[in-house]
Amino acid sequence: MTTFSPLSRRTLLTASGVGLGSVALNLLLARDLRATDSPDKYRGLPGFPHHKPKVKRVIFLYMSGGPSHLETFDYKPKLAELDGKPMPESFTKGQPIAQLQGQALKVQGPLTKFQKHGKNGLWISAFLPYHAKLADDICVIKSMVTDQINHDPAHTMMNTGIAISGRPSIGSWVTYGLGSESDDLPGFVVMTSFAGRNPQPISQRMWGNGFLPSRFQGVEFNSTGDPVYYVRNPKGVSDQQQHELVDAVKELDRHRNAALANPEVDTRIAAYEMAFRMQASVPELMDISKESKETLELYGAKPGDGSFASNCLLARRLAERGVRFIQLYHRDWDHHGDLVKYMNICCGATDRATWALMTDLKRRGLLDDTLVIWGGEFGRTPMFQGKGGPGRDHHIKGFSMWLAGGGIKPGISYGETDELGYNAVENKVHVRDLHATLLHLLGIDHGKFTFKYQGLDMKLTGVEPAKPIQGVLA
Amino acid sequence: MTRILPLLLLSPAAVQAAERPIDFNRDVRPILSDRCYACHGPDANHREADLRLDVEKDAKAERDGTHAIVPGKPDESQLVARITATSASKRMPPRKANKTLTAAEIDVLKRWVAEGAKWSASWAYVAPQKHPVPEVTGAEWPLTWIDRFIAWRLERERLTPSPDTDRVTLARRLYFDLIGLPPTPAQVDAFVADKDPRAVEKLVDQLLASEHYGERMAAYWLDLVRYADTVGYHGDQDHHASPYRDYVIDSFNLNLPFDRFTREQLAGDLLPESGTDQKIASCYNRLLQTSHEGGVQAKEYLAIYQADRVRNLSAVWMGGTVGCAQCHNHKYDPYTQKDFYSLAAFFTDVDEEKHLRGAGTDTVPTRRPPEIAVHTRRERERIEAFNKRIAELEKEGDAANEERGALTKERDALQKATRMVMVTQAVTPRTVRVLPRGNWLDDSGEVVQPAIPEFLGKVGGDGRATRLDLANWLTDPKSGAGGLTARVFVNRLWYLFFGVGLSKSLDDFGGQGEPPVHPELLDNLAIEFVENGWDVKHMVRLIVTSRAYRQSSLESPALREKDPENRLYARQSRFRLSAEMVRDNALAVSGLLVHEVGGGPVKPYQPAGFYRHLNFPKREYRADTDSRQWRRGVYTHWQRQYLHPMLRAFDAPTREECTAQRPRSNTPLAALVLLNDPTFVECARVFAQRVLAKGGADDADRLVFAFRETTSRAPDEVERGVLLKLLEKNRVASKADPKAAAELVKIGLSPVPKDADLPEIAAWTAVCRAILNLNETVSRN
Repeated sequence: MTTFSPLSRRTLLTASGVGLGSVALNLLLARDLRATDSPDKYRGLPGFPHHKPKVKRVIFLYMSGGPSHLETFDYKPKLAELDGKPMPESFTKGQPIAQLQGQALKVQGPLTKFQKHGKNGLWISAFLPYHAKLADDICVIKSMVTDQINHDPAHTMMNTGIAISGRPSIGSWVTYGLGSESDDLPGFVVMTSFAGRNPQPISQRMWGNGFLPSRFQGVEFNSTGDPVYYVRNPKGVSDQQQHELVDAVKELDRHRNAALANPEVDTRIAAYEMAFRMQASVPELMDISKESKETLELYGAKPGDGSFASNCLLARRLAERGVRFIQLYHRDWDHHGDLVKYMNICCGATDRATWALMTDLKRRGLLDDTLVIWGGEFGRTPMFQGKGGPGRDHHIKGFSMWLAGGGIKPGISYGETDELGYNAVENKVHVRDLHATLLHLLGIDHGKFTFKYQGLDMKLTGVEPAKPIQGVLA
Repeated sequence: MTRILPLLLLSPAAVQAAERPIDFNRDVRPILSDRCYACHGPDANHREADLRLDVEKDAKAERDGTHAIVPGKPDESQLVARITATSASKRMPPRKANKTLTAAEIDVLKRWVAEGAKWSASWAYVAPQKHPVPEVTGAEWPLTWIDRFIAWRLERERLTPSPDTDRVTLARRLYFDLIGLPPTPAQVDAFVADKDPRAVEKLVDQLLASEHYGERMAAYWLDLVRYADTVGYHGDQDHHASPYRDYVIDSFNLNLPFDRFTREQLAGDLLPESGTDQKIASCYNRLLQTSHEGGVQAKEYLAIYQADRVRNLSAVWMGGTVGCAQCHNHKYDPYTQKDFYSLAAFFTDVDEEKHLRGAGTDTVPTRRPPEIAVHTRRERERIEAFNKRIAELEKEGDAANEERGALTKERDALQKATRMVMVTQAVTPRTVRVLPRGNWLDDSGEVVQPAIPEFLGKVGGDGRATRLDLANWLTDPKSGAGGLTARVFVNRLWYLFFGVGLSKSLDDFGGQGEPPVHPELLDNLAIEFVENGWDVKHMVRLIVTSRAYRQSSLESPALREKDPENRLYARQSRFRLSAEMVRDNALAVSGLLVHEVGGGPVKPYQPAGFYRHLNFPKREYRADTDSRQWRRGVYTHWQRQYLHPMLRAFDAPTREECTAQRPRSNTPLAALVLLNDPTFVECARVFAQRVLAKGGADDADRLVFAFRETTSRAPDEVERGVLLKLLEKNRVASKADPKAAAELVKIGLSPVPKDADLPEIAAWTAVCRAILNLNETVSRN
């Protein structure tokens, strides 16, 4: 697409090593002295990974809004028995409650049927027929817990490990630690979709870099409109003209810097080169029309429709191109009422595409070194809520997520909630443990992965104890 | 990572230790704090072996026949034995702590014990002492006493100050640093030509008198107090705060003494002389993120808000991280968990239950009572001026009717155009308890009263201490924390004008922060600030008229190696402009900038769909369609969850929490903004029009004009060649495709002159885009 003039060693070192302060730059230089691999791109911190990684990348299918564990993976026949009866106070007394504050609490029986699937007989609800086909591939964690009962802080918790605003998100941590394998795409890409109910908002904070260097922030890719903000040339400017302009800027910066020898200018030139490459690579990436008809049908994706299905297909394309952390938000899982109707819409929009992504990754050999995560910021109450037809309120004491891919035991479920699906009672997994597991699979010891900020050794997993979930590791 | 740092970077402890006697605060405390205090510090719940190393008496006490520290006797000190132990089970810090001591650090600790293990109170909490200004051998260099402190230190390090920078660079530096805008070539010429030995002082005074000084200083203050135009949580609806922003701008311009500025913000409603401005100032207490999300529980959010306030108060005024004591005693500093909740108790008279009890609406703006309708000081002054003029015209009789009518209309419109602002209104204070482990559901903790951290003393008389007592304590240099507050603030001023603070941890003066590299200078600056009645402009003037400030920012390889972060100030610093300045600079150079001061939030062009993830209600961004489009960045609508992508790309913070220091990044996203954001394309195009109209007769002259307008210098041969080539290529392209050229020229609201040569404007637009994208254009040096 374009040729680049020879770069100085320092520039080579920091090409796409953009956004690094002088401290980080010095660290990179120090690493360069010892590195045997190609030093031309930011490939992570010295000494990383800590151990042999099981996976190279993560695809987080983020079911935003809080999918009901009681209508997906956590089958509770006892709820059917107690349907409509008062919720035993022993469960709810002194517990945080969201929208049901001050209301009479009644049990809501399962709003769908469950069946066992796969070799190990995983319970999967009738809302998820395609997931049923994945029963031998996924590892369902039924004992997730979180600390935050409202969407905004719960998202912040799930994505940054704490409810206080301004900390780095998982993807930022991971790309800071490991770098990216892509030379012309950001290491951390976010895409969103929704279908159905008036969706809950989602803040950019969820993919923010917090106190880490800005280059590690998640970059939103849009399947409609401009694929990345400002990635298109101004109207009336051809690619050729833009190319010449960028070359002129680089040449002038380099010329001026010959006298100044300011390393940050080299970094800047590298940023312009990456920006220019992105102007070509992002539209190319986002154009799924050249995928085979068979593939498009597998996902149920139509080019440019902005659907979760298209995003899943794009996730595979991003994975192929070396993007480290890919996060797809589907924003429609907040089912306080009319749960059946909205589960049908929501699962309709995501179930098949999820299966297609898993299938596609598997047949291309990508699943072996990819970690796929499915789940939202919390679960839903065993108690009835009726905004419209029956629904459920936010719930944090026990909910389900699943993991699949490299290093994960396939086809099992891990942990249990009590007979009403309220409290996680066996092998409780906190959000922090999920984070520790994710880092572990990427070859990172979460306890040693720190960044000095305001005098503290900040960690994704925070100060409370956290550990990788041994029971799900293959 | 930590292991290689000291080798690469100038570490005060490591470098100085070899030359000077060990100083506890400078050399020892940072090591003990970082490596030992997590288990042997203030937090009793996590203390190991019942050993404290943060309290002298405990550290030197006898413990079953042995001592952790025996002054003068490293061989008898268990501390030395344990940090040098070869057995992994004995060695401190233990493996599981993921902390190690370097050989140099072990040496520092050993020498410290050998030299008598002298202890001193934490530097930040000891009142600043006036230090004698040092004598230096190179007596001709210093202009002010600041310079003598700098020079003294440089002499000890065998470094020499850099030569003065050239006048052009100095003019640009002063303009950006003091008003956040570039000088015009005429302004630069005037300064260069001014042979008066007081030329610098004159320019500084002129800039300090500019209204744009307040805008520039406000942009920094607003980061600290986390000012934004939206609530931050969940629906991130707009809230009413912009009069507060204008209050901050006016306060800097009026040079409101910093102690009064402090009192008005924390307790404007409680002041005996509380008027409109003090009420607006009290919006400070309302700037935090708030929520009325469907499932919020009032009790939980009251806990969240009080924690937010303590974090901000301590970061802004105390340079402290008291927020760390929300769940447990602070691990490194003497703040207890009780201190945290006692500080929170000062704010429990702030009425915030109204919106938690259903007043908050899913509308834009939402409701956050109490709110009042106000005119800002500037607006009131304008109305007053109208009234005066109208009265004069009335005396002139019928002849002036027309003008009087017009003015009356304008005045009436202004009078009607009040803005709402959230204010503080004191209500009956809520009861505050210590929340065990920060858990808001746990009511078992003790009830606390408003109080300052116990180790710092007491405020108030017999009754309940108020926010005003707190503000008075913060600014009382004698019996309060005034010395600390002054140090925190002057350190930040220093950072603004040198790029790095005297202590680089601008928001942490605690054990984990960096002790100042020039503690005596910081002390004297703090005392100067207080003794001059907390006069901010005086301090700014003092700093920027120093010789140290005037140095060149060029660095030799040797200096870069010795002092990569410029901690010794043997040169000036060079850094990218802030996000707001990057915007303002392009607008100013193009001629589009609107110089008006104050007003509601403004909305520059923004990519379609950028707010699509916002809800309650769904948001459609409507960019301003009038001259508000070209106002300074400080007025941009600050949407916390989706900060304008231009500002974000250049490291402006979302203002969810206090930001004392912005990162300065260099990312592809920022490059894309500068290349393709319609604001910058429009600036380039309007600039091109100006170049064609005013830049002279031929390409060569016009190029010099454009380059000088942007960089204050003429292009050299190479630069001329590159840009003329770019011009020629674009001229060819524009003539070949006039439709495309017209499309480019039409970007932005600013009208294109009638009968303009669109292809020619388009070609020059390319040149102007290139110049506006230069590193030099977006840098201060």
